[in-house]
Amino acid sequence: MNASLDAPRPTFLRKAGMVVLLAGLGGAFGYGAATLTDGSLASWEDELAVVMAAAMIGVGLITAFIVARRPADIPRGCGILQVVVMLLAAAMFLLPVFGPALASPDVVFGAVLLLVAVQSAANLMLWRTADEMLRRVMLETSALAFWALQLGLFIYAAAERLGLVGTVTAWGLMGILMGVYFIASAIAAARRGLH
Amino acid sequence: MNNRLKVLRAERDWSQADLAHALGVSRQTVNALETGRYDPSLPLAFKIARVFGQPIEAIFTED
Repeated sequence: MNASLDAPRPTFLRKAGMVVLLAGLGGAFGYGAATLTDGSLASWEDELAVVMAAAMIGVGLITAFIVARRPADIPRGCGILQVVVMLLAAAMFLLPVFGPALASPDVVFGAVLLLVAVQSAANLMLWRTADEMLRRVMLETSALAFWALQLGLFIYAAAERLGLVGTVTAWGLMGILMGVYFIASAIAAARRGLH
Repeated sequence: MNNRLKVLRAERDWSQADLAHALGVSRQTVNALETGRYDPSLPLAFKIARVFGQPIEAIFTED
């Protein structure tokens, strides 16, 4: 056993490199999403869904890269499950946007329900596989996201009831929810030193 | 809460991955414990004490 096998502390250059890499990936995904959907998306809700899906694919690929570079047998399969959950969630966001061009709405909805079932099972497996700190991060993410979302939803609902703002569709709210959840997840992970 | 995990680990010439394996947690969890970013549950604290062969109070102290 050798203490020199510890993970190296991230230097400023390493951190800066990571920021540049992530910014590059974000730009590439943004450009790709904009090119693929150039003027074809019906609403800002669909655009937000595609952006969220692109972000999830990006995070999933980065996680897969990290898992491939530094495989860990404990918790077993946890990294792969994180990738699977992220990519399935991305597919769940893309299917209602692009699916109707390929199949009828009821078929697309059936596929969405199937994806939801598989993704929920993968999420449950991730919870059962994770160690106690990862579970704590998941719980803190949920609590933080719930607190922010119920506060935002109440303020929006009150403004809408008073006729001060327009109505947002459930699809739009779902995209916003995922965005808030992403931010909450990043905060909860950073507090525990997970990058 | 403060802890002596890093010192105890270094005394045994263990890597974070070695300790993580002994405890059944991820290396990131060991890193978070050592840097004070995460306080372990009571079962994990007992496991840490067992792995190092010391009482919990010899490893963890209050701020």
